[in-house]
Amino acid sequence: MDRRTVLKGLAGAGGLALTGLSAPAIAQGASARTLRFVPQANLANFDPIWGTQYVVRNAATMVWDTLYGIDSSLQPQRQMVESEEVTDDGTTWTFKLRPGLKFHDGEPVRSKDVVASLTRWSARDPMGLMIKALQQELTAVDDRTFKWVLKQPFPKMLYALAKNNSPCGFIMPERIAQTDPFKQITEYVGSGPMKFAKGEWVPGAKAVFEKFTDYVPRQEKASWLAGGKQILVDRIEWIVMPDPATAAAALQNGEVDWWENPIADLVPVLKKNKNISVDIGDPLGNIGSFRMNHLFAPFNDVRARRAVLMALSQEDYMRAIVGDDTALWKPLPGFFTPDTPLYSEVGGEILKGKRDLDAAKKLLAESGYSGQPVTCLVAQDQPITKAQGDVTADLLKKLGMNVDFVATDWGTVGSRRAQKTPPGQGGWNMFHTWHAGADCINPAPYTAVRANGDKAWFGWPNSPGTEKEVASWFEAKNLDEEKAAIGRLNKAALDDVVYAPTGFFLSYTAWRKNVSGITKGPLPFFWGVSKSA
Amino acid sequence: MLSYILRRIVATLPVMAIVALFVFSLLYIAPGDPAVVIAGDQASPEDVERIRQSLGLNRPFLVQFGGWVWRILHGDLGTSIFTNLPVSAMIGQRLGPTLSLMIVTLLLTIAVAVPLGVVAAWKAGSLIDRVIMGFAVFGFSLPVFVVGYMLAYIFALELEWLPVQGYTPLSSGFWPWLENLILPAIALGCVYIALVARITRAAMLEVLQQDYIRTAKAKGLGQGGILFIHALKNAAVPIVTVIGIGIALLIGGAVVTESVFAIPGLGRLTIDAILRRDYPVIQGIVLLFSFVYVLVNLMIDVVYTLVDPRIRY
Repeated sequence: MDRRTVLKGLAGAGGLALTGLSAPAIAQGASARTLRFVPQANLANFDPIWGTQYVVRNAATMVWDTLYGIDSSLQPQRQMVESEEVTDDGTTWTFKLRPGLKFHDGEPVRSKDVVASLTRWSARDPMGLMIKALQQELTAVDDRTFKWVLKQPFPKMLYALAKNNSPCGFIMPERIAQTDPFKQITEYVGSGPMKFAKGEWVPGAKAVFEKFTDYVPRQEKASWLAGGKQILVDRIEWIVMPDPATAAAALQNGEVDWWENPIADLVPVLKKNKNISVDIGDPLGNIGSFRMNHLFAPFNDVRARRAVLMALSQEDYMRAIVGDDTALWKPLPGFFTPDTPLYSEVGGEILKGKRDLDAAKKLLAESGYSGQPVTCLVAQDQPITKAQGDVTADLLKKLGMNVDFVATDWGTVGSRRAQKTPPGQGGWNMFHTWHAGADCINPAPYTAVRANGDKAWFGWPNSPGTEKEVASWFEAKNLDEEKAAIGRLNKAALDDVVYAPTGFFLSYTAWRKNVSGITKGPLPFFWGVSKSA
Repeated sequence: MLSYILRRIVATLPVMAIVALFVFSLLYIAPGDPAVVIAGDQASPEDVERIRQSLGLNRPFLVQFGGWVWRILHGDLGTSIFTNLPVSAMIGQRLGPTLSLMIVTLLLTIAVAVPLGVVAAWKAGSLIDRVIMGFAVFGFSLPVFVVGYMLAYIFALELEWLPVQGYTPLSSGFWPWLENLILPAIALGCVYIALVARITRAAMLEVLQQDYIRTAKAKGLGQGGILFIHALKNAAVPIVTVIGIGIALLIGGAVVTESVFAIPGLGRLTIDAILRRDYPVIQGIVLLFSFVYVLVNLMIDVVYTLVDPRIRY
């Protein structure tokens, strides 16, 4: 009996035990005004500009508001902003804030706060850095108006201010936003719909958010980060549970109300429980990634990279990650998130159809590979990377490669992958990761698809064709132009194998049936969520 | 005695210094970089480097070590790289749950294991002895997380008597505090109970063969008096030793138990800190655990003098 079997047994038995449940457990009894939520990870810090982990971003969306918010159709919508104007030449943006915006300390939100916040954000965010490079001035005109003057147009301005990719353009009071962007803030005052209860924060265990009664929501219907953020509970408690079986049992027992990301193994059990609803949490899902180091042999030769792509079976990877639930994955002959406007399969033939191991071996031999060790970094503490690593080790062995399988933890992979030294001297040949689908809807937040050599993400791919099309997308004036650019980008990136996509996969979220208003999205949205007794 | 205790306390200082140097060196050479974790996946190498600089991680080893020691000598364990909270405050937040868990486990162990060991020795070779020792082997063999899941299933999910997870401070009431600790304490205590029961049995068996026990029996003393007053007291030295050593077991087991029952204690803080390479927190916790261990050993030595008047320092 292994640990996974024990987990399933416990959760399964719990599910059966509670199928006909009516009486509350001794441990129950929390107020219907308190929503108890199990997040995907520990909220270890709470500066969404300094620390860019998704869990920090998710919590920050409650506490800090943004000027614009992305909606479910991936379009930027006004949030703190009442109106904006842009000059005909596209270089001067003038924004006016909504009246009545207040910070949690009672101070009004002023333009100077926005200017300081955007200055800090633009020092860390990839799109912010692009704007900063074009910036002539960013100034407060009056308390509710600010102006951003650029040297040349930046058509994606509103998207940059609205995007949900970390770091988001959160607005903080000036005194806090003046903190060095590479140092943590120590005050957590925002103007969002919830206040952060710092005194109750136990990093690694619990974080508490209380309703901000002075928050004035927009009148529009809420849609992801846009629209009226109506908070229908008084208090939201984030309870960190590192053990999935414990989280499953707590959800079944009514000790928590909503579990952000139940693992696939436990979902069948949760589905059997009549008090629990289970559904896909984030329709934008995730993209698995097998990242090769373009600086060193064998993957410095495009033929070796293409050989891997020819032999790679995405189904093997996806089944290793999510199991046999075919609703949870689909093949991905490209780099962009399926079912989003810019999704493309142009140039994706190499990932389609029957895998041709013989042709792949032949191509690998042509690349000059002669049995040197291939250092494969595999983080064992992340189920997704471990699953991918096991499949890759098998794949490379089938290709006749000499695999140096480095089983380690994510912290070590994180630092070792930054090494540009040869694999035998502390460097590496390949590692696995995954990208949130929300980060792969276009090239702006999609660092992993960039291929600008030394400045590119780990693996340092150099593909001028890919970079040319990234620039084309940024300059595109309408959706058709964007789609055309992305099609060409997809092909160039696959031709040069910027990285190997191992497939697209989804995950579930689960909640008690006395909770309503949970919407699908790239992060958990707490506005509109209510709970009955 | 007092001078002995003072000497021992003074003697802990070099031990702690060696531990501090060892831990700091180990973390310095260990792979992994907190700046990488903080910066996130999208960060550029320049961003990572700036974070490293702001955290002082790029300074030479001796400068970092010297600064850390200097702060410790001033009672400052440093600040967590991730939470920006003082390490002492973070340890303070987590001390209550872990201490509660260990105390309840310790009391449970003594209450269960010692009588079991005494009875097993008294009935040595009988069915009762075999059953007790069988349970001891069972308890010793089962991993903490398996026991934890089984208990949670039976008592939390099936019977709904106790909560699955969490911790309630004692200030919220005795029962709310205790109900969260019962299952974790049993899970954590299984190995410990097995160990103490076996040692108690072995120690008692030796004592029960002594002449003075035969004399006591000949004088017509009751079985209970012989076992629990005369024999147990003379068998106490190895039992106390094992109970003390077992505290190290508890510290190790608490890491798993706190994860299984989502108890916000030091064990979970340790794991989180290690996975994120939060050096100041790891160093603070290791120092604390080392100090506790040294202190426990001192307490054991003091207890020896209480249970065996022949021992004098």
